[in-house]
Amino acid sequence: MRWRHPVFAALMPALFALAATAEEAGISVRDAWVRETPPGMTMTAGYMVLQNKTSRPQVLVAASSSAFETVMIHRTVARQGMTGMEHSPQVELPPNASLLFAPGGYHLMLLNPKRTLRAGDRVEIRLEFRGDLVLLVACEVRK
Amino acid sequence: MMTAVVLAAILGGAWLTAIYRENGSRAMLLPDQVMTLFPAPRPLAAFAFTDHDNRVFDLSRLRGKWSFLFFGYTHCPDICPTTLATLARVHENIAKSTAGAKDVQFVFISVDPNRDTASKLRQYVTYFDTTFLGVTGGDAQLGNLAGQLGAAYQVAVTRGVENYPVYHTAAVFLVDPRARYHAVFAPPLDAEGISRRFQVLRELEGPQAT
Repeated sequence: MRWRHPVFAALMPALFALAATAEEAGISVRDAWVRETPPGMTMTAGYMVLQNKTSRPQVLVAASSSAFETVMIHRTVARQGMTGMEHSPQVELPPNASLLFAPGGYHLMLLNPKRTLRAGDRVEIRLEFRGDLVLLVACEVRK
Repeated sequence: MMTAVVLAAILGGAWLTAIYRENGSRAMLLPDQVMTLFPAPRPLAAFAFTDHDNRVFDLSRLRGKWSFLFFGYTHCPDICPTTLATLARVHENIAKSTAGAKDVQFVFISVDPNRDTASKLRQYVTYFDTTFLGVTGGDAQLGNLAGQLGAAYQVAVTRGVENYPVYHTAAVFLVDPRARYHAVFAPPLDAEGISRRFQVLRELEGPQAT
């Protein structure tokens, strides 16, 4: 979904109103990006820096996006000299700390994009934290 | 299907390193954790894969060129695209060097032949770099080369499950133009670090390597 899409434009105020809940609670995100999908592939990954500015732990419990059929919180892990992906049902952000979603570590596994994503496009991802906090993240698609 | 062959070079933390000197050359490769060099490169034994153009990819295809080998699979959203993007930058850097990249090839070895057909592999690897080559083979052949390189992989093919788990070594293996296992680059991979070390190594090895 591009920013200029009329439906999205109409929804913008509502989205920002929702986003304010987590922002106000002290959780923010920066450098959010999604890797362009290689041709023929039905999956890619999303990365970002999550910041918890509050003095208590915050727990990321789910993620979703209108641009993908499924979004899962995954972590690339090493075991016995090999790397693989593991599903992380939830991720805790320690108080007053940043948590990196980056290649080779935590990432959002994005399955079955609803359209082909090209570098420069934007997609939004909805992050849900424990306590009904929601953060809408604008991600840039990069190669 | 499950294969796991791991050599001490990768697991044991025994970082084999060597200092290379040549008469009249001040260049040397000092021990570091970007590239692990084998003081005595190990000749590889025969193996047989099929490349993304359905041609045989065997030991002879490794001769006459420096080969960067990486094990992975296309249904891999994090490590594989990250590594292939890094290797594309390595290729770009090497191509810009005086010696160029004509004697260098990059080979993506899929450990997931069940899903990675030749055409899928071609579409996937050439997206990152048009010169990249995708190859795959049966479990015995994959296990054969992986074992020789100290790589490991594990594929849990599950009927009816679209995204079954795959584990694989994330290192990049360097085979010299005499088809000998010469060095390994351990993750986290850095394009500039790999390019620089490769160029020094190639210069030092010079004609001996071919």
